[in-house]
Amino acid sequence: MYGATVEPIEDIRTDEEKLAEFEGRIARGEKIEPGDWMPDEYRRQLIRMISQHAHSEVVGMLPEGAFITRAPNLRRKLILIAKVQDEAGHGQYLYHAAETLGATREEMLDALLSGKAKYSSIFNYPTLSWADMGAIGWLVDGAAILNQTMLAKCSYGPYARAMVRICAEENFHRRQGQDIVITLALGTPEQKAMMQDSINRWWWPTLMMFGPHDTDSPNSAVLIRWGIKTKTNDELRQTFVDQTAPELMALGLTIPDPDLYYDETNGHWHFGEINWDEFWNVVKGNGPCNAERMAARRQAHEDGLWVREAMVAYAEKHQS
Amino acid sequence: MSDTHASDTQWPRYMVLHQEREDKPHQHAGTVHASDAEMALLNARDVFVRRPDCVSLWVVRADLIFARTQEELALNPDWLDNIQATSDRTEAYYVFAKLTQKAQFSHIGEVEAENPPHALKMALQKYPKTQGLVWWVFPVKVVLKSTPDDIAAMFSPAATKDFRDQANFHALSVLRKLMRDQKQEAE
Repeated sequence: MYGATVEPIEDIRTDEEKLAEFEGRIARGEKIEPGDWMPDEYRRQLIRMISQHAHSEVVGMLPEGAFITRAPNLRRKLILIAKVQDEAGHGQYLYHAAETLGATREEMLDALLSGKAKYSSIFNYPTLSWADMGAIGWLVDGAAILNQTMLAKCSYGPYARAMVRICAEENFHRRQGQDIVITLALGTPEQKAMMQDSINRWWWPTLMMFGPHDTDSPNSAVLIRWGIKTKTNDELRQTFVDQTAPELMALGLTIPDPDLYYDETNGHWHFGEINWDEFWNVVKGNGPCNAERMAARRQAHEDGLWVREAMVAYAEKHQS
Repeated sequence: MSDTHASDTQWPRYMVLHQEREDKPHQHAGTVHASDAEMALLNARDVFVRRPDCVSLWVVRADLIFARTQEELALNPDWLDNIQATSDRTEAYYVFAKLTQKAQFSHIGEVEAENPPHALKMALQKYPKTQGLVWWVFPVKVVLKSTPDDIAAMFSPAATKDFRDQANFHALSVLRKLMRDQKQEAE
């Protein structure tokens, strides 16, 4: 009944004409949509970025999920459950955005479970105390929001729209994190010490989240040219330090960087050099929790097999 | 993964259309994969309705949606003229369109048509003032919809979860006050 014969619509433009038109659209601030012509490299870069981003949301559920049963009261527990649910949803929005470029969800999931795909290195660090829920919400989600606010303006429509939705929800994540940090930092000496220990462990890995220096970031130029990114890794990292450092210090917390100071000459916070050996080591799979995270994902996939089989059996029974 | 995981073969994709308020049209929210339409509706609820802004949810298999971009139609203006009705057996189709670069697909209306291309032709005739960047048409009967009875169980609980709203946290005002007080003290 849907077999109506439809002549495919032929595109007679040359690749040069298409590229010129594509770049013109980006220059005018138009969004590129699924089905529009785009260079293969644009598609490839977007699939790489969006699927990595999706995997990060999915793996990102694990460090916090571990603390749902250890929340200090019912309200905090409800908040944490809601936050972890949001991360699952964000993963789904992003897999959907990548699918509009021709990647399949199955391919992406296989790439994650086989260890071929990358995800944000931050989730390969362990959560050791309740204070880490505060540090993750404020620092890690705060850093993510800066990146995502930029991507909400990116040239690819489905990615930009997913980001708008995600940013709105991530702001709740950051606020609840700040709420935990404030409560602990202004609490008993033991609570404050716990919070300080957490900041000490999460500060540097958070700065690494923005990625390598611009000079060592091979994809940056093409991403900026095609309007996928509009700010560089170093620009975003500086914005994060400028925002976050004075707020943490106002709470009486210290930042584990002896080279950190406010530079009156340029109005920015100067910070020390990141340990890039540590960064690349974690990216290459040798971080404190890489193996644990992958094992947990694979286990969840295996454990869900009977549910998927039951759903297929149900669907088949109702079809016949 | 391994060959034994036959059921891991990707499930069909369903488009999710959600309505924020009674007086607003259904809009495209995204997609979910599911073993059948019923599961798709439940997945759609979990993925897209964690915040209290939904009164109705529809799901439709993505491969049953017929889509054309404005660009495609402009490249071949004769294409529509060549679509002719061949019988009088028609059915109802929903018409959705993407109206601006930023907007999601929005419910425009319904047409009676013989097949999907014919439905698109009818839609363009019926809504001549609508400037769709992309058009979608699909038969009304292939859509699975939530019902008013589902609202209490599917959508209302989100309204009580006020902690999901960043406005209910006062971290920012606490921080600002702290920084203001410290600055005054220093001066």
